Amino acid sequence: MLLAAFGYIPAIDQYALSLDGFTQLLAWPGLSQSVVLTLFVSVASTLLSALCCFAILQSCWHSRWWKQIETLLAPIMALPHVAFAVGFAFLFTPSGFIARLLGEQINWQLVHDQYGLGLIAALTLKEIPFLLFMSIPLLKQLNINTTLITAQSLGYNNAQAWQKIILPQWLPKIRFSLFAVMAYSISVVDVALIIGPTQPPTLSVLVWQWLNDADLATLPKASAGALLLLLLCLLVLLGIRLTEWIMTVKCRTWQSSGRFSLPIGGKSIITITYLITLTTLPMLLLWSVAQRWRFPDITPSTWSLRFWQQEWYYLLDIITNSIMIALVSATIALFFAIVIHEHSIKASLNKGKFKVPRLLISIPMLAPQLSLLFGMQVATLYIAHQHYYLWVTWAHTFFVFPYVFLALDGPWRSYDQRLDKVGASLGMSPFKVWWQIKRPLLLPAIWIAWAVGISVSLAQYLPTLMLGAGRISTLTTEAVALSSGQDRRISAIYALLQSITPFVFYIIAIVASRKTGSLEQQRANSASLTSTNRVTTHNVSISK
Amino acid sequence: MRKLFVGLGLLLVSTFSQAAELDWQAVEAKAKGQTVYFYAWGGSPEINNYLRWADKRLNSEYGVRIKHVKVGDIAEAITRLAAEKTAKKNSNGSVDMVWVNGENFKSMKRYDLITDSFATQLPNWQYVDKTLPVDNDFSEPTLGLEAPWGVGQLVFIYDTQTLSNPPASFNDLLAYAVKHPNKLSYPKPPSFHGTSFLKAALLELASNNAPLYQPVDTQTFTTISAPLWDYLDKFHAVAWRQGKQFPASASETIQLLDDGELDIAISFNPNEATTSQQSGKLSETTVAYAMAAGALSNIHFLSIPWNASAKEGALVAINFLLSPEAQSRKGDLAIWGDPTVLSASHITGSAKNTKLFKSIPEPHPSWQTALEAEWQKRYGH
Repeated sequence: MLLAAFGYIPAIDQYALSLDGFTQLLAWPGLSQSVVLTLFVSVASTLLSALCCFAILQSCWHSRWWKQIETLLAPIMALPHVAFAVGFAFLFTPSGFIARLLGEQINWQLVHDQYGLGLIAALTLKEIPFLLFMSIPLLKQLNINTTLITAQSLGYNNAQAWQKIILPQWLPKIRFSLFAVMAYSISVVDVALIIGPTQPPTLSVLVWQWLNDADLATLPKASAGALLLLLLCLLVLLGIRLTEWIMTVKCRTWQSSGRFSLPIGGKSIITITYLITLTTLPMLLLWSVAQRWRFPDITPSTWSLRFWQQEWYYLLDIITNSIMIALVSATIALFFAIVIHEHSIKASLNKGKFKVPRLLISIPMLAPQLSLLFGMQVATLYIAHQHYYLWVTWAHTFFVFPYVFLALDGPWRSYDQRLDKVGASLGMSPFKVWWQIKRPLLLPAIWIAWAVGISVSLAQYLPTLMLGAGRISTLTTEAVALSSGQDRRISAIYALLQSITPFVFYIIAIVASRKTGSLEQQRANSASLTSTNRVTTHNVSISK
Repeated sequence: MRKLFVGLGLLLVSTFSQAAELDWQAVEAKAKGQTVYFYAWGGSPEINNYLRWADKRLNSEYGVRIKHVKVGDIAEAITRLAAEKTAKKNSNGSVDMVWVNGENFKSMKRYDLITDSFATQLPNWQYVDKTLPVDNDFSEPTLGLEAPWGVGQLVFIYDTQTLSNPPASFNDLLAYAVKHPNKLSYPKPPSFHGTSFLKAALLELASNNAPLYQPVDTQTFTTISAPLWDYLDKFHAVAWRQGKQFPASASETIQLLDDGELDIAISFNPNEATTSQQSGKLSETTVAYAMAAGALSNIHFLSIPWNASAKEGALVAINFLLSPEAQSRKGDLAIWGDPTVLSASHITGSAKNTKLFKSIPEPHPSWQTALEAEWQKRYGH
């Protein structure tokens, strides 16, 4: 990619290294607007989702609704970004469902609007559940209840305690998830194509369009754009880190400056998030069985199963493909994630050992996919590129891995190391300790991480397309290709299937993790286990 | 001297005829069992279904499978080919067959991404209507490097219930927009249909459109294209969303027409209104028409990359797609409705009823790039 950016593309007789790509890029009218827009969208959606997530945690953590919120998280997270974007568009276009309910076309713009507000809204709504999900294990570690009780005894109310004591602890821990959200929002192509601004589009969309331009002379420009995208990403990452540092280290006066707290409506935020996200599903279902559904009808005027019947025969193949790749890549990623977690625990106990840097792990999540894939594609061409399944699965594993790693991060840290020592002191081999004590305890988390990995793999568009050379079609590639034809009915079918498949795996994971018990139950079990162990050791010593 | 010319001429003829010899029986024999990866736009369920049918027929008749690789824009395939050229991958390529025309063909030709000339040696070439401009693609000579597949004409679609007297020229279109603001637009260039709209408008507005059929001259571009920008400045002021936003594609204009946001949609298929009605996308009262001066017309083609893995399979597939059977089905209004490139006498069924509008040939392809760049500079941000 670097080479291409500097003008080295033998296919079109460009051998001389030059800065042409960059000059072309800078000369493109609208570049500055596009960059500003990209930054705005990504910063706004990241901050908003972080804020909303914290507000929800503050007002709902361990309240009466918390259980429901947690159960609903999985299906909401299962909904892929693209499917959500399609549904969001059905709801909010000027002649969309909301306009139909009102009976007239609405004037405000949320889809393809100039400032990317619709894109920000959609990304924020989609990322809140992800951040919530990632916060659960973190908060479990933080001893919220004790903190709140202590704070109350000092005369702080709940909101003040959350904002002044828990926020500064939560922020550094959620950092990597925030980075992921931010990087995603900067480099997202498919969602931005469906609801993002068009005049100009965000930088990632521009790069994508240049990369696919018929005139191959735009390739250097595209590569230069991909580099710029990477740069922007780093810039914003640093920006977030800096803000966090200022808030928690540099300017801490707000933490001790008195009893001021901001009012936040966490309950309404979670209601809105869930409501909008969940309404997209019936929307998709309705469109998928509509033959004619003209504005301003609230329901379709003619119904038909024609599109389902037409696609049904071909769907089986596509679904099998999608699931196979997802299963394999998520399982491999899970395996590596566990190995690396175990390794870093050992490394942290043992100073001399090499520790895998977290930044390295999160590269696939943080660097713009487009920039990475460009290099990957050229690399595979030089090696044997006809093993399409191999390459696609490899790429999926690569992009799935950090999410799985992140999902295991909290549980792994909150695991009580003393249990290992107890096991070891009983003469169990390290593997036996892991298999018989740690694994059952962490199994619920492992199941969930596996489901997260599957859903991430199922949603991959660019890796499948670029490395699969069209040999491999998944639900997502079909969905995006069909969306270029603007046929709402057929788009709805694919978006719906795209949501159902990961959902099934979340359900499997949830059922499986319930079967193996929740973390608290397990902890209770393990407590009794250790006490029985103690009893048995006691007995052993007596019999001796 | 004369001898030399004759000699050179003979040499040329002989090299051409060498490339020309296609032993069709051998091709069919070799094609058996091959899978052809056909890169083609995948946004239309109707077209996708047609290709599924072609796959079935080809499989039963010739033992050839075609696998439709659905792309959002065919340029994706061209970039892929370029990447393979970069990696010097001169055989076993990933693309066996492409659906192209215009700018994409020009790119493929310029960078040598196409196999040897083949089109005129296909057995079914005999049925092709030679009165159509099948030997050039946006005034770029095809030299048999691609075979014609169908005819496109830039038409406009309206609903007779909202519009009784559709604008018959671009000037009328502007007048209509002034009277009914926020109701007209066109797909955003550089999308295929968007740029076609610009070209069609300029062909009408330019005082003399002869230069448009010559390569762009940077000296005269400003003067020749001035009437277009003048027109668009006025048009955008009263267009849908004040010209600050445009539909992304022609398909979106059809959706917007049905939603009542636009009064006129655009398509390159003269049968679009009928086929869209059949699939439920448009109401029964919609009609397609062309401007009084005629419709910007072009032909879309099928071609084979230089490094295709299933070259013979692709040849057999293209030959089949040019057969009267396949072309009649393609033109069937209930199937796809794409006008045929064969002589009418070979066509059966409802495809026979397709009436083409008076055609306006495409300007020189260099105008496309120039207009797109200027549009981008003026309105694209």
